[in-house]
Amino acid sequence: MANIRRFSQALFLLLFLWLFLQTESKGANELGYPVKIFLDADPLIWLTTILASRSVYGVFVLAVTAIVATALLGRVFCGWACPLGTLHHLVGKLKKRTAPNKQVFLRSRNLYRIKYLLLIVLIIAALFGVQLAGLFDPLALLIRSLSLAINPMFSYALRSFFDGVYTWDVNFITVGSEYIYSFLKKTALPFSPPLFLQGIFIGLIFFLILALNLREKRFWCKYICPLGAFLGLLSRYALLKRSVSEDCDGCGACRRSCQGGACLPGSPDGAIPDKAKIEAKEWKGAECLMCLNCDDPCPKNAISFGFSREPAPAALDLGKRRVLSSVLAGMAVAPLLRITPLAKIGAAEPTLIRPPGALAEEMFLKRCVKCGECMKVCVTGGLQPTFLEAGLEGIWSPVLVPRIGYCEYRCTLCGQVCPTGAIRKLNLEEKAATKIGLAMIDKGRCLPFAHNMSCIVCEEVCPTSPKAIWFEEIRLRDRQGREALLKQPHVDLSLCVGCGICETKCPVLGRPAITVTNLGESRSKDNQLLL
Amino acid sequence: MNRRDFLKNAVVSGAALTLPLGIAPFLSMAGGADRPDLAVVRGASPALITSVAVNELGGMRRFVSRGDIVVVKPNIGWDRTPEYAANTNPEVVAEIVRLCYGAGAKQVKVFDNPVSDARRTYKQSGIAAAATAAGAQVSFVDERKFKDMAIKGQFLKTWPLYTEIIEADKVINVPIAKVHGIAALTLGMKNWMGIMGGSRGRIHQRINESLVDLARFVRPTLVILDAVRILVDNGPQGGSLSDVRRLDTVIAGTDQVAVDALGTTLFGMKPDALGCVRIAHSAGLGNMNISRLRIKRLTI
Repeated sequence: MANIRRFSQALFLLLFLWLFLQTESKGANELGYPVKIFLDADPLIWLTTILASRSVYGVFVLAVTAIVATALLGRVFCGWACPLGTLHHLVGKLKKRTAPNKQVFLRSRNLYRIKYLLLIVLIIAALFGVQLAGLFDPLALLIRSLSLAINPMFSYALRSFFDGVYTWDVNFITVGSEYIYSFLKKTALPFSPPLFLQGIFIGLIFFLILALNLREKRFWCKYICPLGAFLGLLSRYALLKRSVSEDCDGCGACRRSCQGGACLPGSPDGAIPDKAKIEAKEWKGAECLMCLNCDDPCPKNAISFGFSREPAPAALDLGKRRVLSSVLAGMAVAPLLRITPLAKIGAAEPTLIRPPGALAEEMFLKRCVKCGECMKVCVTGGLQPTFLEAGLEGIWSPVLVPRIGYCEYRCTLCGQVCPTGAIRKLNLEEKAATKIGLAMIDKGRCLPFAHNMSCIVCEEVCPTSPKAIWFEEIRLRDRQGREALLKQPHVDLSLCVGCGICETKCPVLGRPAITVTNLGESRSKDNQLLL
Repeated sequence: MNRRDFLKNAVVSGAALTLPLGIAPFLSMAGGADRPDLAVVRGASPALITSVAVNELGGMRRFVSRGDIVVVKPNIGWDRTPEYAANTNPEVVAEIVRLCYGAGAKQVKVFDNPVSDARRTYKQSGIAAAATAAGAQVSFVDERKFKDMAIKGQFLKTWPLYTEIIEADKVINVPIAKVHGIAALTLGMKNWMGIMGGSRGRIHQRINESLVDLARFVRPTLVILDAVRILVDNGPQGGSLSDVRRLDTVIAGTDQVAVDALGTTLFGMKPDALGCVRIAHSAGLGNMNISRLRIKRLTI
């Protein structure tokens, strides 16, 4: 059975990675693949989004399926499907085998409660309107880490390698490497090198989480993962159960092969629990990943998995005080995060340009799970993770940074991949009518204004029709007193959609002479300028 | 064999009797020494008028030799579909690719360094699909292939240009005729911006002189100006069908100044009203005096 499980894990991981790679434009305005199905099937994101936004969104068939499957079969998702779990599994292989006795000692008996307490905090916070689950949800975390750090890293490494061989220019080797390079460019490599602010931090956090497997295999799954905790709670009355026959002599072989920490019998000092036989009631069903590992190593062949209607194993005991503290902590989240003046009219960070179709900021934050899908798919790479521009509550949510990349006028991909509807899916007519901000000219830097030089790149690239940037032809005298004609740009604020291409392409590099702020964004009732 | 191939072969073999009546007059010129400087062909099929225009000038064999590597450089600058006339007509591009192969080209490359996202411009313009179907090697520009080149122009001393253009045996420029904010019009010479790397927006400070510097450095074998649809407002990007006029015309020639000069008349302008044409003419790069040119006009 373990091999079937491994096959399933590999399949889901490959599917996940393949869909991840497909989260990229091929030139059409549709991706052609359901790239967000993993997030659609995530019950934690589903529940917390509904609680925080107090509205039902999108497809819920998949999330409900996952819930029902867990209620019947236990945490099969964790053991058989979760791509992050599989990565933990793989990294865990690097862990040095410890002596049988020692391993029990290393295990902290009660750390597993952390994930339940974290889950309580997240759910209570969601009840009070704060969506933080995305920071810890394994799928959102994985997609974010891959999008913003790991994929850029691989892309950089491969590109610099092949560029190196290309400049090296040794006949056979370079021809071969170019062949491989062009193949990679068509398949795995992103179209243009992805570069993200904070990529390094998001990457370091990801590596740290993976490194925890060296302390203990699947450390994250056992002790931190709130989705695992949620599925654990759902699996309380699962029909698929482990049973142990009378042949068990308590050798502990099953415990050493356990992925999830479901078998924690005996005393914490690590003594072989010869007396305490490993019995079904000591099996923590909520912690079992249904990996079926314990089935094979049992020398007595005493372990079997099957469907039974036996009473559920002992209820999860977190301790009343701990639960109460977590609830209180969850209640404190909303007021603590929101004692910021950013929400006052006119006090918001002006560079916080949200992607087109983003909901009004308050609702946007309740829905955005910071998965990074929109940033992954953005064709110009302009969508970047925020740091504190939207408050700590909005950390790693998407912001358009026109200096890095603009919003392509006829592209609606970010809204198509958003799993929670924080960014609405727009059609092209809606997109053309959606303002994400307004451009304004800095006359102190603009060439035709400040330096009497010809330019008008902003007018050339302005995508609206009629163009939001128009020019006024003026006559002036140059330094030598000769009369000259010059075109000076102006922004028609009623036509400008704030796409930022003018800022991206402005030849005044560094601090462009035309910049976009979120003033005038369609999604806000208050952040308006025009009458 | 489709109608296009049939026509092409028919022209080459001089099988005049099989041709539609409208084309008959030009046959007297085909292969003759008395070739026009410019061919202006008008007709409903973009591919057919392209093919006829090239034949008017002596056929593609005059320009492309067996085994040549040819670059066909359309304008694929913007994320717009063909009916918005922001990019070169895909059928015109595809027909030129076919004619090149018909003349024995070893490889025909099609690319542009667009302003909008390249994946979208290649796809939405319809050029990638049409040119690929015609057998061209359509590729996105590879940053590594921009090399600083000594242009030694009046304003552009050195600039990173795309090496594939420079290394090609033959270069065919296939611009589309559009209005443009700073250059007034964008025709053939303006299309060379698409082989520039670096922060090319800077050349707008001296757009006309810079374009002439470029045009002097990159001399095309043939220029085919696509005026099947022209953009008369909100250029060079357009975005509304009301910005577009349908002229169903192509202008072909070997003198890039002459092609641009005649191109200005599509917009009711005088050639010398377009800065780069005027400067290129006085620099001896070509001839903008339309009255002195032999112009063959045909309607199919």
